[in-house]
Amino acid sequence: MVLLELFWSFMKIGFFSFGGLTMIPVINDEVLLHGWMTADEVMDIVAVAEMTPGSLGINCATFVGLRTAGLIGAFSATLGVMMPSLTLCMAAAHFILKLKGNQVMESAMKGVRPVSMGMLLAVAVTLSISTFWTEGGAVTLSGVQWNLGLIAFLCAVLLFRFKVSIPKTILFAAVLGLLIG
Amino acid sequence: MERDRKRSDDTESGFSRAGRLAIMFWTMAKIGCFTFGGGWSIIGQIQIEFVEKRKWMTEEEIIDFMSLAKSFPGIMIINMSVLCGYAMEGAPGALAAAFGLAAPAVAAIGLVTYFYDSLKSNLYVEKVLNGVRCVVIPIILQASWKLKDKSLTGTISCLLLAVSFGVCAFTDVSKPLVMTAGALLGLWVWRGGKSHGAA
Repeated sequence: MVLLELFWSFMKIGFFSFGGLTMIPVINDEVLLHGWMTADEVMDIVAVAEMTPGSLGINCATFVGLRTAGLIGAFSATLGVMMPSLTLCMAAAHFILKLKGNQVMESAMKGVRPVSMGMLLAVAVTLSISTFWTEGGAVTLSGVQWNLGLIAFLCAVLLFRFKVSIPKTILFAAVLGLLIG
Repeated sequence: MERDRKRSDDTESGFSRAGRLAIMFWTMAKIGCFTFGGGWSIIGQIQIEFVEKRKWMTEEEIIDFMSLAKSFPGIMIINMSVLCGYAMEGAPGALAAAFGLAAPAVAAIGLVTYFYDSLKSNLYVEKVLNGVRCVVIPIILQASWKLKDKSLTGTISCLLLAVSFGVCAFTDVSKPLVMTAGALLGLWVWRGGKSHGAA
């Protein structure tokens, strides 16, 4: 039952991600495993998510849901990814006073944050390999698609050195892509 | 008490419960249209709409909710909207707020998806997407970089970072498992808030 699968997968994605781009590794695993998206499509949707309103989780859920099972699929997946908010957070709102300055949660988060950071770095490596080297080709120096590496480097300079906003950098990358991609 | 007072104020100002829910959905949808790249701007907008304009919430509530929303799993801004909606109008309020906030994103991506498949094979679109895929990697690196101050608080957290990177880059261990292990380690290492002082 694809609707249930969508709901379940995106609920997992929701529960095991803590905000924004830390979702990418979990989303990546889950949608590749089910064959709902290709690695390239995941990257497209990350870029799209950064340029359209709404968070990556919702955007990804809607995209995958729509393509897999139409409108009702989009609804199942989106509802799934919203489940942690609708259950845990709802309960928290109920017990808000008891949870103030919640120490247990904070300790757990101290472990989760570095782990998320490591995961993000790992996914950056995997995605780099699939982006900068031609598919199936050996990962050698001569196999690098230098034009794409150059785009990534220039964008990194804009983001890190000049603090250009993400949507603007994406537009810049799109133009560069048109010219040398 | 506080909440009762606020509620009666608004009954006087002429909004029925359904009216308040509708306003909440609509306002959240409006806010949801402008959450480009990361959701931090919505907190400012919620504050303007619901604290300053309508006085349905207090400044303190916003601050409390912000730290809660951040520390719960899931999508931070949806967490935030659920907390605010619940505080203003109970569970129906939470639903109205959450779905309101999500609606513009779903609509926008719906449109994108509709065109994506038909445009993807176009040569120029392909070139543009090639470029766009390249930017995703620095974006991820930047996100990871931004986490460093809060994440890397000492030797143990640096070790955790290295192990998590190794496990995720070179093995197929599931991410939820890695995340859970991190949370449990955190509970074990930092239990009782030793490193925190008064919490």
